[in-house]
Amino acid sequence: MAEILRAHAEQQFASELKALAKADERQKPPNWKLSPWAVATYLLGGKLESGGTITPKYIGNRRVIEIAVATLATDRALLLLGVPGTAKTWVAEHLAAAVSGDSTLLVQGTAGTAEESVRYGWNYARLLAEGPSRKALVPSPIMHAMQDGKMARIEELTRIPAEVQDALITVLSEKTLQIPELNEQVQAVKGFNIIATANDRDRGVNELSSALKRRFNTVVLPLPEKADEEVEIVRQRVEQLGRALELPGELPALAEIRRVVQIFRELREGKTADGKTKLKSPTSTLSTAEAISVVNSGRALAAHYGEGKLTARDLAAGLTGAVVKDPVQDRVVWQEYLETVVKERDGWKDLYRACREV
Amino acid sequence: MGAAAPHIFGIRHHGPGSARSLRRALEELKPDCLLVEGPSDAEEVLELILHEQMKPPVALLGYVPDAPRQAAYYPFALFSPEWQALRYGLERKISLRFMDLPFAVQLAMDEERRKEEAKAAQTAEGVREKGGEACSVEALDKTAEPHPRQDPLRWLAEAAGYADGERWWEHMVEERRESGELFGAIREALSALRKELPPLEDDKERHREEVREACMRGAIREAQREGFKRIAVVCGAWHAPVLDLEGHAAKDDAALLNGLPTAKVKTTWIPWTYGRLSFSSGYGAGIESPGWYEHLWIHEAQIAEHWLTRVARLLRGEDLNASSAQTIEAVRLADALASLRERPLPGLPEMNEAIQAIFCFGSALPLRLIHEKLIVGEVLGAVPDSTPIVPLQQDLEREQKRLRLPAKASQEVVEFDLRKETDLDRSRLLHRLNLLGVPWGETQRARSKGTFRESWRLQWKPEFAVALIDAARWGNTVREASSARAVDRAANALDLPTLTRLIECVFLCDLPEAAENLMTRLQAVSAVASDVVHLMDALPALADVLRYGNVRQTDAQMVTYVVDGLVARICIGLPVACGSLNDDTAAEMYARIERTHGSITLLEKDEHKTMWKGTLLKLSVLPNLHGLIAGRAVRLLFDSSVMPSEESARRLSLALSVNADPVPAAAWIDGFLRGSGQILIHDERLLQVLDAWVTGLAPDAFIGVLPLVRRTFSTFPSPERRSMGDRLKRGAKPQSLKSEEKTSEDFDVARGEAVLPLVRQLLGLGER
Repeated sequence: MAEILRAHAEQQFASELKALAKADERQKPPNWKLSPWAVATYLLGGKLESGGTITPKYIGNRRVIEIAVATLATDRALLLLGVPGTAKTWVAEHLAAAVSGDSTLLVQGTAGTAEESVRYGWNYARLLAEGPSRKALVPSPIMHAMQDGKMARIEELTRIPAEVQDALITVLSEKTLQIPELNEQVQAVKGFNIIATANDRDRGVNELSSALKRRFNTVVLPLPEKADEEVEIVRQRVEQLGRALELPGELPALAEIRRVVQIFRELREGKTADGKTKLKSPTSTLSTAEAISVVNSGRALAAHYGEGKLTARDLAAGLTGAVVKDPVQDRVVWQEYLETVVKERDGWKDLYRACREV
Repeated sequence: MGAAAPHIFGIRHHGPGSARSLRRALEELKPDCLLVEGPSDAEEVLELILHEQMKPPVALLGYVPDAPRQAAYYPFALFSPEWQALRYGLERKISLRFMDLPFAVQLAMDEERRKEEAKAAQTAEGVREKGGEACSVEALDKTAEPHPRQDPLRWLAEAAGYADGERWWEHMVEERRESGELFGAIREALSALRKELPPLEDDKERHREEVREACMRGAIREAQREGFKRIAVVCGAWHAPVLDLEGHAAKDDAALLNGLPTAKVKTTWIPWTYGRLSFSSGYGAGIESPGWYEHLWIHEAQIAEHWLTRVARLLRGEDLNASSAQTIEAVRLADALASLRERPLPGLPEMNEAIQAIFCFGSALPLRLIHEKLIVGEVLGAVPDSTPIVPLQQDLEREQKRLRLPAKASQEVVEFDLRKETDLDRSRLLHRLNLLGVPWGETQRARSKGTFRESWRLQWKPEFAVALIDAARWGNTVREASSARAVDRAANALDLPTLTRLIECVFLCDLPEAAENLMTRLQAVSAVASDVVHLMDALPALADVLRYGNVRQTDAQMVTYVVDGLVARICIGLPVACGSLNDDTAAEMYARIERTHGSITLLEKDEHKTMWKGTLLKLSVLPNLHGLIAGRAVRLLFDSSVMPSEESARRLSLALSVNADPVPAAAWIDGFLRGSGQILIHDERLLQVLDAWVTGLAPDAFIGVLPLVRRTFSTFPSPERRSMGDRLKRGAKPQSLKSEEKTSEDFDVARGEAVLPLVRQLLGLGER
């Protein structure tokens, strides 16, 4: 068998899940593989009394994960909101893997997602040959999850057309799925629940109806809280990506990464790191993922056209491009930032000059 | 001795749980003497507690009548254990006493300490900012890292895995219902905690604590001597272990209490707010969530249900979606969270998280509303009418006497000459009172010209007395209170114009401390203000202050910093803000550009000038810019010699070319020349430019532009027009441009200096 590019969470961390299940003596909600406490530990990492170590899957605020797990335990559906690049899908996958041991019951939300992918479809050959029957029915991942008492995942919920979203309402409130063609219904087995993710930057795409919204508990995944955390995430990813893309040249200096992360954080938060000066925020997201791409493209520039070492000049173009998404407003914001903050800062003159040139 | 051992109840200040168990314990014990931690010289106003107009939150205020800035507050809420103990004592008519150091000693010690600190600071680093201005409350407010003694029970609760001391107490008491034993257990826990913690590093603080505890023990001994059988002692849990009389000799305590300084003090009640309760104050711990605690006090059971229902109702009132179904889900989630965290009951953090996930769809904004309205709560207490007068009123009366400005019920108009010290002080007093919401005086338009005259209409109304009592929570002197009020208003001001007006007001009131704070705020708000117009409106006032104002050195630095930021932002944002203006807004923008230009010229900073010139240049070439602005930009550049005469002339003829649309062209020449009649007469260069342009026009073109030029020229008064005509009749001097340059080169310094003494005399600058 050819080597798989990426294994499912429950395959990749099978040993950790097993160790946790062994150590877990707390009460489990019906059909859960682990207790809520163990699920939270699986995501946040920790040491087991038996000596095993659980690696943290989510680095950041403990509260967020606790609310998410508690929500699933109260059989309410969970909606993970956040700007792109805040590990929503990652958290959803690991939650499903830890709770049901299965993260594959997935509906990918797109503008073209049809009701069949949320409810059920038909095997038309069979339908024509035998007429409507359970055998001719093609269940959706959600229907599967209902029958087996597992976690179903919906990615990008807000991209799904409103009328398809509405198909979820009965599933969530009455935990049944009607099959009028057969005059039957599927009743969800205990343990069934839905974890959805959505992007709150483009919430306007297909805004959730208030009836549906009400059936979800919303948890917002924040951007990394501490600068050091974010620098570490960027550094790791840049290293990994560089290896995958086989980029020549030396690894970027930590100081340059720190600088990019600081600029991103300052603009995002609307104030300087020392908290003394307020700033305007641009319309761009400026997520950690974008910081990674700025450093990476700077690195490629340095390797192919520069001196091989990442300098302010290599970063300037990428930085400006990442910040200025709206040519009028963002430009004002960026220039203000350059003039009032970057210019004054000790040792940042090179960056100031490089950005002015762009 | 044979005296009855006292029953000591260590409580948590402002803890509803403690209050409830204390009340229960007192009812069981039925004491005949009740000692409460509080200033022993405040007993005269205790009777007022039972008055029907008395509504907590209120504070017991002790102050030195001659210097009300020296003051200490003991705030009480309905759910404060001390308040409940006092009410119990008064209702049962048993002997009720305060046992802590009297206000007289506390304030005298504060003052001594402050003096020493001021002296130390002076020798250490010259003149320090604060000096005599910091009142004791402020000083106590500033303790950054709360010492465990302020809220020792929180430490115990945290050790037991609770987020909030109250919920821990609630749990311990509600589950067990054996309050008597509980107080014993707390005393034991606290004596362990006191042993573990290092002693206070500050000698003075430690001494003070020893003195206070000695004083409390003294009061207990006194009560025993008088033969009371069941003495109940209510004090902060921190003190509970050391109020045991064994192990502390009466002699040692007496020695500690000997020779303490005293001051003459007055005591009264003042209304307090929950907002102020959340500061720490003279009483030790401040609490973060008075509204939540009140809720815990009122509801004994089903806390989460009641709380979340209140939240839902509040959100509904604000037109946010909050259904009963959501309330049910929120209660369930809060419970689930608590059990996930292995806590027996959901606390405030669990409530907030459940609210955010269910009511607010993940957004944290509504939570701020909940924090303000429910968790802190906007409650203002009330005190009976018969309460002694507050220090702010006394300070006002003193000021009125000093400035000979008596309060009269009839209307009168007074004029102040601000060059006189007394009149200036009067004006400041009235401005400050206005800031405090006591509109005693109303400014009138002064009849004579000149900025040093101010006219006021005065009328004292009886309701001002109430307003003053209300304002008393801001401070004890008019100056201090208005300063605090200004700072508070600044904190709530969201947009730049409000803040700018406030700053002007603060300068009129002469409140440097508030000004400093306002500048910081202005800096923050201006950074996010997207409207360049507001930034431009804010600049002139600040520039004036910087140039003429008598601000202190530190403030000037701060103002400079803010002004630098403002100028930079204006320069960057102006071209965008000038896009697509109609005639009215262009006229407003014109005036703003003029004012900004004036301020920047006034400030005389090269950095600003260069930036501003760059912006004007940018403006002058901006396509589709309103003619008025474009014309003015060219003119300003011409005036400051950035743009050479030839270039200005070229722009002029470009804008007024025959093919140009007449309306924008008229606006352009209007912008270029508006209000410059006098200047045209005296400025050779400008006249040259115009003259050269007019004479260079082809006859047909001249007829074409004539109406446009006439339109502008007709705005000049006729004598000006006549003298302009005279000048032109005498003939233009083509070489004048060059001759001007020459004069600057051939300038005879010695001859110039010869007139300086006379000029000095004329300006009244005196000989130097």
